[in-house]
Amino acid sequence: MTDPAQIGRDEWVARSADRRDEGTGLRRVLNQLDARVGWWPRLAAVALGGVIVGQLLTNVNLQQVGFNSLLYALLALGLNIAVGWAGLLDLGYIAFFGFGAYGFAIFSSAALGTGGSGGAHLPAIEIIVIVLAAAGVVGVLIGLVALRLDGDYLAIVTLFVGQAFMEVVNNVDPGTLGGVNGLFGLDPLHDFGGQVSSTLGYYYVALAALVLVAAVLRLLDTSRTGRAWRALRDDPLAAAAMTIPVNRLKVMAFSFGAIVGALAGILFAAQQSTVFPTNFTANILILIYACLVLGGVGSITGAILGGIVVTVAEQMLSSPTDAGYLFYGLILLALVAKVRPWRRLAWVLGGIVALGFAAHGIVSLISSSAVAGHPGSTGWIGSVVSNYVIVPSNPVGYGNVLYIVVLCAMIAVVRLEGVRRLLAVIPTVYIAACCWESRLIVNPAITTQIMIGVVLIVTMAARPQGLLGSRRVEIV
Amino acid sequence: MHELLQTTVNGLTTGCLYALIALGYSMVYGILKLLNFAHGDLYMVGAYIGYFVIQWFGGPNAVSIPVPLLLAIMVLLAAVGVGVLGMAIERFAYRPLRDAPRIAPLITALGVSFVLENTVLLLFGGFTRSYSTPTFISFNSGITLDGVRIDSVELMIFGLSFAMMYGLHQLVQRTTLGKSMRAVASDREAAEMLGINVDRTIALTFFIGSAMAGVAGVMSGLAFNQISNTIGFLAGLKAFTAAVVGGIGSIAGSMIGGLLIGLCESFSASYVSSEYTDLIVFGILIATMLLRPTGILGQKALQKV
Amino acid sequence: MLLSLEDVTTYYGPMRILEGMSLQVDEGELVCLLGGNASGKSTTLKTILGLVRPRAGRVMLAGEDVTRWPVPRRIAGGLAIVPENRRLFGQMTVRENLELGAVLQDHGHFDEDIARVHSLFPRLQERRDQLAGTLSGGEQQMVAMGRALMARPRLLLMDEPSMGLSPALVQQNFRIIKEVHEAGVAILMVEQNATMALSIADRGYVLSTGEIVLEGPASELLGHDELKRAYLGA
Repeated sequence: MTDPAQIGRDEWVARSADRRDEGTGLRRVLNQLDARVGWWPRLAAVALGGVIVGQLLTNVNLQQVGFNSLLYALLALGLNIAVGWAGLLDLGYIAFFGFGAYGFAIFSSAALGTGGSGGAHLPAIEIIVIVLAAAGVVGVLIGLVALRLDGDYLAIVTLFVGQAFMEVVNNVDPGTLGGVNGLFGLDPLHDFGGQVSSTLGYYYVALAALVLVAAVLRLLDTSRTGRAWRALRDDPLAAAAMTIPVNRLKVMAFSFGAIVGALAGILFAAQQSTVFPTNFTANILILIYACLVLGGVGSITGAILGGIVVTVAEQMLSSPTDAGYLFYGLILLALVAKVRPWRRLAWVLGGIVALGFAAHGIVSLISSSAVAGHPGSTGWIGSVVSNYVIVPSNPVGYGNVLYIVVLCAMIAVVRLEGVRRLLAVIPTVYIAACCWESRLIVNPAITTQIMIGVVLIVTMAARPQGLLGSRRVEIV
Repeated sequence: MHELLQTTVNGLTTGCLYALIALGYSMVYGILKLLNFAHGDLYMVGAYIGYFVIQWFGGPNAVSIPVPLLLAIMVLLAAVGVGVLGMAIERFAYRPLRDAPRIAPLITALGVSFVLENTVLLLFGGFTRSYSTPTFISFNSGITLDGVRIDSVELMIFGLSFAMMYGLHQLVQRTTLGKSMRAVASDREAAEMLGINVDRTIALTFFIGSAMAGVAGVMSGLAFNQISNTIGFLAGLKAFTAAVVGGIGSIAGSMIGGLLIGLCESFSASYVSSEYTDLIVFGILIATMLLRPTGILGQKALQKV
Repeated sequence: MLLSLEDVTTYYGPMRILEGMSLQVDEGELVCLLGGNASGKSTTLKTILGLVRPRAGRVMLAGEDVTRWPVPRRIAGGLAIVPENRRLFGQMTVRENLELGAVLQDHGHFDEDIARVHSLFPRLQERRDQLAGTLSGGEQQMVAMGRALMARPRLLLMDEPSMGLSPALVQQNFRIIKEVHEAGVAILMVEQNATMALSIADRGYVLSTGEIVLEGPASELLGHDELKRAYLGA
């Protein structure tokens, strides 16, 4: 206590390592693993994994899912430049995606011809060069607007940019841009006498593009520019004071993001061979944000992982059987991750199962019509839960009420603490299951959207750095 | 001349609604520095509450209670319902992120907006619903000034909007709650150090701001008849523009900004082209931000560096 | 005993800032807490006020365990703080700032309290309708003190009252602190200006890396060799 040697010594920094709360168990192992494996081996693993997965995608549907995953990974990578690295919240990113797609469509279809014939029909390389260069210029222009604006204002202006893009393609010059009907009959990617014609082919093109972009971005991230971006994000004022060219960097971030977004747009349009204004709505933007946020803002690996996870999850939701795996799997995962110790977890899981079968039994004794409906899940999950959840014969109104109840119950769970929270979790999960089986699973499209929203909210609250990210990201 | 005045009246009507939404945006932004993207969707929920109140009391063709009473119930329920919803959103989605990096609550707000929009889609379907206002409030009610019609719905919108704005102004300037709100907006930790209940102050700010959006929803349902689950996005965007143009954080600014945006819209729809209305509003936003980033009435906050 | 910390350990995120910290302030005492940068001085004040919760140990205020009390309840129980850098509400008037200091107080004695603050700082009466952000540094310090006194504290916490003030203002400031103290308010003051602080204090503690390394009567500390070398530049 009166060790005089300590007086006046500021050892906080020197001793900070042994003051840190290091985490235990799996978390610690993962952290250490994360610290040891280098970045380039990881990229090689991703590329190799991509090729192997490509060999396993045996039907067109799976190949389409594979292509979409890579496309969204690419989009998330592009978004990450402005949002994750430079700390500029860009809500107009979807316009760059649309710009690339429409750019490709105009030069590879009859749009520039007259009366449905003629048109440019340029080879792929030329289109890519023209469109990406133009996208870079558009990015610079929007970046110039960004110079005048602080973070939040920038967000709203860019949101308007996305909206303006929609207005333009819907209303301006329908003869060339196709209006609400969009553009169709686009050439596939073709050059040097060959062309990409199969979905699997586009999968590999997208894989190559993704690996290339990731590699370029990695070099950029570890370069002077990358460091300067991070400085800009953490403290623009200090960055400016250190003679970092803040303005040029902001513009560059937008411009690079625009180029990657446009590249994704080209691939999208070529593979789909049509473009419609509705391909570029705010919903898609939010989907891209979900990819980025889930993977971890600021992390290249995270963006790729997020793109894949979100696309695959979205695909799973559209099939009742897979959706069941996803729903019950996530609940189980969340409980395993959050409820400790193991004995308590066993009690909670037991409680959830027992509550359901008891409730089903009691309700079926009182009124057989109250349980006459069929759960939405099919397969073995469907048969297991048919004696578990309560689904009346006309489940729509019932499901709607349950949905509201689930939302309220979730709020209650967040507010409660300790044992009470655990007790509240049991009925919440059960009601959620009833709601899922009676209402949500029947409307996969809407359910997907709601889940994307929930993913954004929950990720931000529970793990703002996403699955992989570790950096602090701040918009100033 | 006649058309000009009529266009002005229409523009002011829309403008009042934008102003009400803008106020909530502005208040929340002031106190949390958060762009609450879900705010426009709260307006949408308000419109739905009003719609279901009409259905509850017999539907537009057979309203079972006096119309003024019906309107009062609609406004009140929308205010309270949406206000509570706004508080719940704050508690559930934003409060855990108080001290998080600024980008986190923004993304959460996107998520909340998405959830709200799709929840309404799930519960009530995606089709457009109609208030059928003319069947219970005659178009011929109201006043005619020099050939310019101001119907009773428009009168109600003017009256209610100005009353609410005046009330809000008094609240913020005179009451302890209002002073606490300003204190929390200016320095949250310092406010907490004085014993101000920061959580409650922020929750009440959300309640008031959301309630005003809810009322705006009801009134837009009455005035424009059409509601759907997607009306919140654009309305929210334009209301935010109004808040920025007027000067975010300023009550009078939000009001002026809202009226200005409303007028621009109705004039560009009447004299230019309704298709380019949104682009024109967007142009105004960009011009404001480039020429006067603090808005018409906004003042540059004293920023400690 | 008015305030006592018993074996308090506080974390900021994953970082341990205070470790097994104990200190006491008696009724009517002026105690100063010395220490270098990042030694945990401000965290100590925040722990006392309840802005951060300790992971271990107890905070006792006037014999009651307040460890789990929220901030407003502690302030109602007789605490007030003059924060580091004053932290005034710059866009509000002097009077509004003072009113906010009394936000938990009974309206009945508001006029009496504000008259007391005005008699202590006559300048504030002249400037009552001016925006606080437009005042000079010295005047802002007065507003910060006045705002804290509006809460009728039994124990006033002061976080680096001399920071950012000119030497003449520091002198004036310490006179005011002494005056407030002599009116019967106990004060716990965090300060880097050790000589000045110890010259008006009854007792002092020295904090290093989150632990108390030295404590004693102010006069004794003023003569302590190690301390002199570390802080007093002797």
